[in-house]
Amino acid sequence: MALSGYALTLAEAGWLTIQLAFASLLVGLVLAVFFAGGEMSRYRVLSWPTTALVTILRGLPELLVVLFIFFGSTQVLFILTGDYVEVSPFLSGVIALSLIFAAYAAQTLRGALKAVPNGQREAASALGISKQRAFIRVVLPQAVRHALPGLTNQWLVLLKDTALVSLIGVTDLLKQAQLTAAATHESFTWYACAAAIYLVITLITQRVVKRMDKKFSSQGLGNAQGASA
Amino acid sequence: MNQQHVWQLFEGLVTSIELTAVSLLVGCTLALLMTVTLILRTPIVHWLSRGLITLFTGTPLLVQIFLIYYGPGQFEAVRESVFWLWLSQPWFCAMLALALNTAAYSTQLFQGAFNAIPAGQWHACQALGMDKKATLSVLLPYAIRRAVPAYSNEVILLFKGTSLASTITIMDIMGYAQRINAQTYDTLVVFGVAGLFYLVINGILTIAFRRVEKKALAFEVTH
Repeated sequence: MALSGYALTLAEAGWLTIQLAFASLLVGLVLAVFFAGGEMSRYRVLSWPTTALVTILRGLPELLVVLFIFFGSTQVLFILTGDYVEVSPFLSGVIALSLIFAAYAAQTLRGALKAVPNGQREAASALGISKQRAFIRVVLPQAVRHALPGLTNQWLVLLKDTALVSLIGVTDLLKQAQLTAAATHESFTWYACAAAIYLVITLITQRVVKRMDKKFSSQGLGNAQGASA
Repeated sequence: MNQQHVWQLFEGLVTSIELTAVSLLVGCTLALLMTVTLILRTPIVHWLSRGLITLFTGTPLLVQIFLIYYGPGQFEAVRESVFWLWLSQPWFCAMLALALNTAAYSTQLFQGAFNAIPAGQWHACQALGMDKKATLSVLLPYAIRRAVPAYSNEVILLFKGTSLASTITIMDIMGYAQRINAQTYDTLVVFGVAGLFYLVINGILTIAFRRVEKKALAFEVTH
């Protein structure tokens, strides 16, 4: 009976991991749009710092970013307010993971936006469609299709990176496996269980992604390529 | 943070680089072997390679490190065997996890490069009457060269991944950084300097690989 109790806590921890991953994905996507916009900006004041930030984020180990945000945010708040405020590990985790995700996703988005031929924008303006409307209705839907494979890959990386937050005290899948392993002295069993759950989540996502890719490509991109050929 | 701390970080840097180099060597060799088994569809062995790839690309590196370091101790038989001499050492476990991880990702890269060989080259070899072995010895060197740009990314990912070895008591850059942070509470400076170490090495790796790419892919420009 004890085993089922442990299995239950592991399942709950798995749910937390999924929540963490989705929260980071949402925040990360928003950040990625800002990063991509900043990098492509005409104004040097905007494009330079963004490019530097993205380059630095991609050059640092993920673990360092997570620890930096978690311990660093406390220090920054201490300097600013003079009080000892601890930022919750979950929040720090989401911030760190979304920053890392955004740094990579911004590259994908930038590439995708550039992959949409300029003729599309020109055609829209020739038809008297306003610039913003053309961007939202014409360019963006095409860019999303180009970006999808890269973004889904990044999502899988993000999912695996969530394991890092176990090091700053979030009771996620890995942390729970660690606790259970310590309690039962069955390290292999529980770490293997955690690994299996990660694997199942990854495989399910891959399947969903494949279906999504197929749907999107059959909807337009394939036709467009066929028409241009 | 004082001068002594900076020297400690340099010591950590040496450990990080050693760990990267050894894992890279082991991982790359393993990846090449696995790629060959996948290409030749060696019975049973190529299933093993497939399984290894799914396992190591589908789970977090941190879990792999913990599983390899803490896992085997559960079994009495392993603890009494000759392997225990190796498996009880954190450095070996970290290296093994990193090597297997990079081998799994590299195999995918190499296989992708192999599949990208144009059909015309196969036909050309066939037309010249080459057998499978001769064909591969002609085509593989080019496929490997085409994999260099993607492989450089993998090397940088591996170097960043070595930071996880600090979680199993190895004193690499990250290990020292965490210790100094606990001693001084000067998080922003300590992790900032540690981050600088990683950025500099990654910068050097990027530039070095750009050179290698230019040389390795020179054959593509000429035709």
